[in-house]
Amino acid sequence: MSASVARPHGLLAEFETPADVMNAAIRCRDAGFTKWDVYTPFPIHGMDEAMGVKKSPVGWFTFVGGVTGFFTGMTMIWFMNKFDYPLVVGGKPLFTPLYAFPVSYELTILLGAFATLFGMLFLNRLPRLYNPLLKVERFKRASNDRFFVCIEAADPKYAPEATREFLADQCHAMAVETVEE
Amino acid sequence: MKTLTRFFGMLVACLALLGWVGFGTVQALAEDAASAKPETVAAAPGVTAAADAHVHAADGHAHAAGEGKNLLREIGLRYLTAYMFCLSICVGALFLLFIHHLFDASWSVPIRRVVEQMAALLFPWMLILLIPILLLQRQIYPWLSIDPAGDHSLEVKRALFNVPTFNILLPLLVASWGLIAHTFRKWSIAQDKDGAAIWTRKARVLAAVGIFYFAFSLTLGCIYLMKSLQHQFFSTMYGVYYFAGSVWTALITVWVVTLWLKIKGPLSQVIHQRQIQDVGVWFFAFTVFYAYIHFSQYFLIWNAALPEETFWYVNREQGSWKWVGFTILFGHFFVPFLVLLNQDVKMNPAIMVPMCGWAWLMHFVDMTYNIMPTYGPLKMGPQVSFWDPLFWFGMLALLGFFFLRNFRSAAPYPLRDPRLKEAITHHVIPAPGAAAHH
Repeated sequence: MSASVARPHGLLAEFETPADVMNAAIRCRDAGFTKWDVYTPFPIHGMDEAMGVKKSPVGWFTFVGGVTGFFTGMTMIWFMNKFDYPLVVGGKPLFTPLYAFPVSYELTILLGAFATLFGMLFLNRLPRLYNPLLKVERFKRASNDRFFVCIEAADPKYAPEATREFLADQCHAMAVETVEE
Repeated sequence: MKTLTRFFGMLVACLALLGWVGFGTVQALAEDAASAKPETVAAAPGVTAAADAHVHAADGHAHAAGEGKNLLREIGLRYLTAYMFCLSICVGALFLLFIHHLFDASWSVPIRRVVEQMAALLFPWMLILLIPILLLQRQIYPWLSIDPAGDHSLEVKRALFNVPTFNILLPLLVASWGLIAHTFRKWSIAQDKDGAAIWTRKARVLAAVGIFYFAFSLTLGCIYLMKSLQHQFFSTMYGVYYFAGSVWTALITVWVVTLWLKIKGPLSQVIHQRQIQDVGVWFFAFTVFYAYIHFSQYFLIWNAALPEETFWYVNREQGSWKWVGFTILFGHFFVPFLVLLNQDVKMNPAIMVPMCGWAWLMHFVDMTYNIMPTYGPLKMGPQVSFWDPLFWFGMLALLGFFFLRNFRSAAPYPLRDPRLKEAITHHVIPAPGAAAHH
């Protein structure tokens, strides 16, 4: 792709305070944008509601992972101690869920945690090796003392001029700049 | 100055309690040493001990099964079941106060007055309700009538298990919890007038010291009230087992009571989704904690297979008592656990209010499981009688009445707590559409 026809990635708006970016997020949410995000140096309480972010489906990954772990533990011990290598220990039955429980419980946690982590990465399309925002000079302060909103060009409501005006006038951004792909 | 005196008074009282127990232990040990001297070396101590344990296991069984039908004993035990249930809510609320102050929490400030009023029922009401148990003690607790000389397991536990200690310590324990609850409430109400941070500071110091006393004293209290029904039993987890179920029951009660007071008006301005959700999350956590503790107690006893421990659960696997055990496993853990897994459920009254009724029923079943197998033939299984609802609902109605009376006597929430603003202004985000019209 030649440099002269670089496609825009989106519009990046800069804000000075958490309150400003929170108000901007509420306006973006209510304006009906769907492909946009907020970048802040630290978590801001209430940002999820301000952005209208729905509940994450990552819990379902955790649930499936946990259930898998529990039954893996139970069947593993049942198979090993009842069939593969039957061994009486302390006069206890060859299999009972009782002594298989601590192991199954640990596996519930382990596979539940794995499923949570990998489910989160999957849902966020991570790891991602490139993000156009990283080449913007002012965006470096997103990890220090500035707050940003980026509306992507892929958003159906995105219009280069109208969105720029929306961010500058209605959201009161300090600065708005076009980010190239 | 007055509070300082009071603080030292409490300290002295706590030390006196510990001293009493310590003195008893030393005396018992000294007597053991004295009685051991004339005996020559036993031929095979291990075998003797094992045989002894078997005798006691059988003994416990005999006591449990062979007490026979006795109206006073039945009334006493059923009253005790209801009492333990109500005590759960009060001591559970007291624990929530300790935790609130220890962590300098802000989110729970708006619900704190409700919790304070609940815990304050410990004195005088739970102490007054203890009187019938003290009056019927010979009927309820067989060990009080057994000569320790002829019962090894009672003999070794006589530092705690003797008539005067029981009668002095038990009311003192309940009174001391009441004293702590009243102190928290008094400081909290004093803050309503002047808004001074010193009251918060004082409460934090009391919580930091009191939580240790609470842990030991609650264990001691439920050893006396419930575990001593079968005095041969050993379980180091018994105190935390009762504690876990208590806080669980108290949390769902707080959930429903705060929601009701929010709808009714007194708390409508200060209780938000956040408080409701967080109490729900806490209830969910204690669902898991209770299961963890009860499973651990069962599992350790099952795995070690020592007769002086196993008899307690063997008793409770006779007849249909086995199904009561399964009811606790599924009803006390699996049902609430699976229902509450979803985040939104913890804020949904249509599920949480029936859940409160369910949790109350399960905790009552749990108390029955601990207490009632000591009455009547085990093979008969659990027998429900009209005494159960009479005592249970009667006691709850009485406590509910005094709770409301207490609640009306003071502000419905800590009016001038330094953290109140933080608790109620947090997370105020306009809903979608609300900002678009500006």
